[in-house]
Amino acid sequence: MSHRHLFLQSGFIKTNLQNGVGRFVNQLQRINLIFCKSSGSSKGVREFIETDLVDFARANPGTVVYLKPRRHRGTYMCAEYLNGHKDYITCNNFTRDEVRKWLEYMKNKSGFPIIRLRKHWHTDHPSIQGIWNPFTHKPSYLNVTTFPEKERSEYQPLMPSATEQLLQIAEQVGFLDNSNTNNTTTTTRNTENIPPPLNMSDEK
Amino acid sequence: MVFLSFVNCMRVKGPDKFWKRRQILKLAAHFYGRKRNCYSIAIRSVQKALQHAAYGRKVKKLERINLWKERITAACEELNIPYPLLMENLARCDIALSKKTLADLAIWEPRTFKCLTQIAAAKNQSYPPTVKAALQPPPEGVITRGML
Repeated sequence: MSHRHLFLQSGFIKTNLQNGVGRFVNQLQRINLIFCKSSGSSKGVREFIETDLVDFARANPGTVVYLKPRRHRGTYMCAEYLNGHKDYITCNNFTRDEVRKWLEYMKNKSGFPIIRLRKHWHTDHPSIQGIWNPFTHKPSYLNVTTFPEKERSEYQPLMPSATEQLLQIAEQVGFLDNSNTNNTTTTTRNTENIPPPLNMSDEK
Repeated sequence: MVFLSFVNCMRVKGPDKFWKRRQILKLAAHFYGRKRNCYSIAIRSVQKALQHAAYGRKVKKLERINLWKERITAACEELNIPYPLLMENLARCDIALSKKTLADLAIWEPRTFKCLTQIAAAKNQSYPPTVKAALQPPPEGVITRGML
């Protein structure tokens, strides 16, 4: 429980129309600077407008800058992004440098609100081979069989019976001829794709 | 006469309680009733909540590992290979895939997972644990070229 998450909404990371995969487009559409022409709290913003604003506007040709002188109001900047999201920062008693830096911050943001990211990665195609489904590893002849199928309905014992074990041992040692191995006592699964089970324990 | 020990009885006021209490009440903002507003009630709940959080951090990791293990076991059972056999033989082959990756592969990349089980089975063949296991046929479709 990190208390940072209590009121911070959570979500998944996303980009606006896969920005950056091809060309990168700056997401800041509009920036409004609301200030007062006379009050002292707007001094930093006024200084910024006199000195650094034109450089900012030239450096960001895709962003529109609006200046709104409003008497007897607080100073703030409102940034609007391409996905319609709006962000406000109060600029009361800021220095000219602070205004410039916060403006850079607004410019560099994507339009999405700040949330706790549940995952720091995203993919539209999590699976290349196809997501597992119960039929992934099953043999394809099942698509054209009618059920119930006699072979697949048979009882499949986990361990071979004593008779089968003796026959296997005899065959491996060489007591039996190969022609006698076509006995029907062994119940094996008719699997195309799946190998026979591997035994971990040695049973005598 | 000089009185020196009287100075020791003077007490200095501590730091401002407001901020200390605010820190606690901020953590209790989503609690029910007086626990979120009254400090002396909130402090108890907050301390308990922090204990739960500390304990939960460990448990979360263990639960995740167990979930991955369950998923890999389920995938293995479908492919007829025991889970310990898979893990042991992948380690023998120096395939250092974590449980998280294996679980993700089993879900999103099932054929890759199947190939991994086959590799494990082939490796198992070269290090048969028992006499009976040595007599089993090698797994189909695995071309080792003597590398295992």
